[in-house]
Amino acid sequence: MTIFGANATESEEQSGATDSAADGPGAATDPAADGPGGAAEPTESDAAADASDLDAEDLVLGYPTAPEPVIDGESIAAEPGAVTALVGPNGSGKSTLLKGLADQIEPDDGSVLLDGRDVHSMDTKALAKQLGLLSQESTSPDSITVEDLVYHGRYPHRGFFERTTAEDARAVERAIELSGCGHLRDREVGSLSGGQKQLAWIAMVLAQDTDVLLLDEPTTFLDLHHQMEVMEIIETLRDESDVTVVVVLHDIEQAARLADRVVALTDGEIRASGPPEEVVTEELLSEVFRVDAEVVATDRGPRVAPIRARHEE
Amino acid sequence: MSGERPATDGGSVTGDEGRRIGGGSRRQPVEGNRLGWLFEPRLLTVAAASLLLVVAAGLVQVSFGAYSMTAGQAWRAVLDPAVLLDPRWFLNFLLGEELMRTVTGFQGELPELAHETLIVWNIRLPRVLVAVVVGANLAVSGAIFQAVTRNELASPFILGVSSGAGLTILLTLVVFGGLSAFLPLIAALGGSVAFLIVYAIAWKNGTSPVRLVLAGVIVGTVFNSLQTGLFFFADDIGVVQSAIQWTTGSLTGTDWEQVRMALPWTVAAMGLALAGSRQLNLLLLGEQTAKSLGMSIEKVRFALSGVAVLAAAASIAVAGIVSFVGLIVPHVVRNLVGSDYKRVIVGCLFVGPALMVGADVGARLGMSVLTGADAQIPVGIVTGLVGGPYFLYLMRRRRNVGDL
Repeated sequence: MTIFGANATESEEQSGATDSAADGPGAATDPAADGPGGAAEPTESDAAADASDLDAEDLVLGYPTAPEPVIDGESIAAEPGAVTALVGPNGSGKSTLLKGLADQIEPDDGSVLLDGRDVHSMDTKALAKQLGLLSQESTSPDSITVEDLVYHGRYPHRGFFERTTAEDARAVERAIELSGCGHLRDREVGSLSGGQKQLAWIAMVLAQDTDVLLLDEPTTFLDLHHQMEVMEIIETLRDESDVTVVVVLHDIEQAARLADRVVALTDGEIRASGPPEEVVTEELLSEVFRVDAEVVATDRGPRVAPIRARHEE
Repeated sequence: MSGERPATDGGSVTGDEGRRIGGGSRRQPVEGNRLGWLFEPRLLTVAAASLLLVVAAGLVQVSFGAYSMTAGQAWRAVLDPAVLLDPRWFLNFLLGEELMRTVTGFQGELPELAHETLIVWNIRLPRVLVAVVVGANLAVSGAIFQAVTRNELASPFILGVSSGAGLTILLTLVVFGGLSAFLPLIAALGGSVAFLIVYAIAWKNGTSPVRLVLAGVIVGTVFNSLQTGLFFFADDIGVVQSAIQWTTGSLTGTDWEQVRMALPWTVAAMGLALAGSRQLNLLLLGEQTAKSLGMSIEKVRFALSGVAVLAAAASIAVAGIVSFVGLIVPHVVRNLVGSDYKRVIVGCLFVGPALMVGADVGARLGMSVLTGADAQIPVGIVTGLVGGPYFLYLMRRRRNVGDL
């Protein structure tokens, strides 16, 4: 139930406890979570059995500085072992929702359940072993090497005085390999391009070796090549692991191509949710993104050709 | 950003080890080279150079003064086997006479020492040792505060420690003269209490680096005003001079008693700082990343600040408020060894004492060389005079001063 399955030998009580929790109450809530969403069967059934559930119920999220909550009572279920994309215009609350799912913002109401356990009541390190978050903007000292940065991803797996273990080294190796930044490992982060930096940060969050991975606009501001690199990493995760991925994407076409399930938000409300073919439609684009666009179904998913912005209302 | 240094040379000793092993795991698992990071060439050079500086400056300090001797005489006095190999004398200095007698059970008269040895060991050497302790404390404290507040201009005194200590020093000297025997303790306590006040002001459902720094400015402003106001109530010049000595930092008259007072706290604070270096490294990745990696950020931030305050308080208790050391040394070290806090802390342990011992040479002997007057100036004046221009040099040379 982890990215690499490298944790199989780990005898820590923490992962043991959550494993059984997933098999017990997690399995019981599974059909219920899938029911209203309409997504019938996950692509790989054995993956779904192991993969983690992330469910938010009636979530109310806001910032202390703003009087009105950004998200006002929405429920969302990430499909276990699959990729869920959150799309929506600027300010639609998709990043806020993601931060709420990651327990970075304390909900005013409602709860987020990870395999049936409330993430807010979980120990922070125990949560970080199961749920990873890549924020939109990440800062680091310029002189840190990529390898050292990736090793920071092992933080939740290490005790206060513990040194790195063989387990840590393996996870870091795999993360670096999967993110394709092996050639950068000894470079200083300050000397990297924006795209290379993003790969390094993705490697860090992969090294965290979690069951659930939340990515906040991982492709925004990257050149085409690096956008494709990031997409490929997520595709690999989708196809070859049972990690539950929730990703905020700016580009709806990318979302359609990448995700098993697309959730569209406007003004903090979930307007549509389902498989890409059902959600990415001309009506939705005009309603949610306020553009006239032509959507053509291709064998690589729906293709979106935006035509003009809508100015009515 | 790039091109300052070939990027590939960032590979540490551990990296080199891994390369020899080949494609497999690069870093030694279970770290057979647990302390491999210590033997990084840049760090070793920094440590060796600093050590040399401490020894050279220390030798100057023990040679010159009212009773001058040659460097050879001084060196022989420092290494006098009558002290170094006689646990009674050695412990007498390090632990104090009473403790020495309990430890060794020795009740008679201590053997006679040579005149030079007495001067060096009794008067001059402890001052050098206090400088070492103060330098290390201030440097490490500053390094921690710079990471905790993510602010390059943070110093050990950014969260109100100096203003709290300064206020209580003035209160003690001017108002509660009867308590002046406890001045070191009161100053250290005053600094710690001010830090707690700053934290309480900054706290609102948790805190943030900016809130902490702002609260530090608020408390600092109020306390400094009160402190300055108290100067008007000082009735004689002696009290004012003594107050200035304390508030600018001075090692004049420091003795073994100061070494004994500061050493245990120093060892504890340095150990805790080293143990916390991984947390400090993670703090450098930003609050959000640290949180998403499962760090209990408020607890860690408070605990690390506490360690830094402990170190600062230990140095205040023996030397008063020495400025600039805690600001400048972490910058120097980061520029020399990189931003990994394990190395930064170790580097501070060497560079801090080097700056402090060196500056104290100027404070103790500078006036007599310059004017022939037999007067000493507070060491804090010298650290400011040395530190300011060096900071300017750093600022001019690098676009990003001390990449944090």
